[in-house]
Amino acid sequence: MKNRLAQLRGANDWTQQELADRVEVSRQTIISLESGRYNPSILLAFRLAGIFKVQIEDLFLYSEENQDD
Amino acid sequence: MTDPRKWIATRVRLGWALLAAGGLAAYFARWATSATPYNFRIIIVLGTLLMASGVGLLVRFSAGLKDEASARRIMANVRDERTVMIRMRAGNRAFWMSSVLVYAGLMWTSYAAKGDLPVLSQDALWDFLAAAVVVPLAVYIGSMLIDERTT
Repeated sequence: MKNRLAQLRGANDWTQQELADRVEVSRQTIISLESGRYNPSILLAFRLAGIFKVQIEDLFLYSEENQDD
Repeated sequence: MTDPRKWIATRVRLGWALLAAGGLAAYFARWATSATPYNFRIIIVLGTLLMASGVGLLVRFSAGLKDEASARRIMANVRDERTVMIRMRAGNRAFWMSSVLVYAGLMWTSYAAKGDLPVLSQDALWDFLAAAVVVPLAVYIGSMLIDERTT
């Protein structure tokens, strides 16, 4: 699933580690999320959306093509 | 919410306890007599495993005793949902490998009892049982390494 994590993180001038610390996950998880290799749980998705003050659907871009991810 | 420093301190204490328990087991097994019906090498192996687990915990968590930020980061890394998922997936694969090996061993023993297959010698049985422990462990570690790179 595509997402705007890297873009929003860059806009806030945060490192991957800083974002990881804020949502209490590992830096590797942020790397995997940004590269689209890993889809977060709904709880983590809400936490990330909350940190960036956006709606989940503005952060994670779902399309029918993603359904097998 | 869990206090990260207390959480880390508990794991460090567990590390020391495992290290001590492993050392004691290995130490007493060394002095045990060979006249008893137990194979004390197993206790030495168990002691070594306990000690290795203890050292692993100490190495992993001691850095978290420094300050709150380090403790919080280590706790986040351990509880990280992706890491937990990778561990669970690896555990599932290891479980299936273990089941297959044990089932194969049971089948072999059953057919051997009928005379359709050769009966396993003591050494062959020992090797098979050792493989039934080591192979699932290797599958677990291999699965974690692969998933860490691909997930």
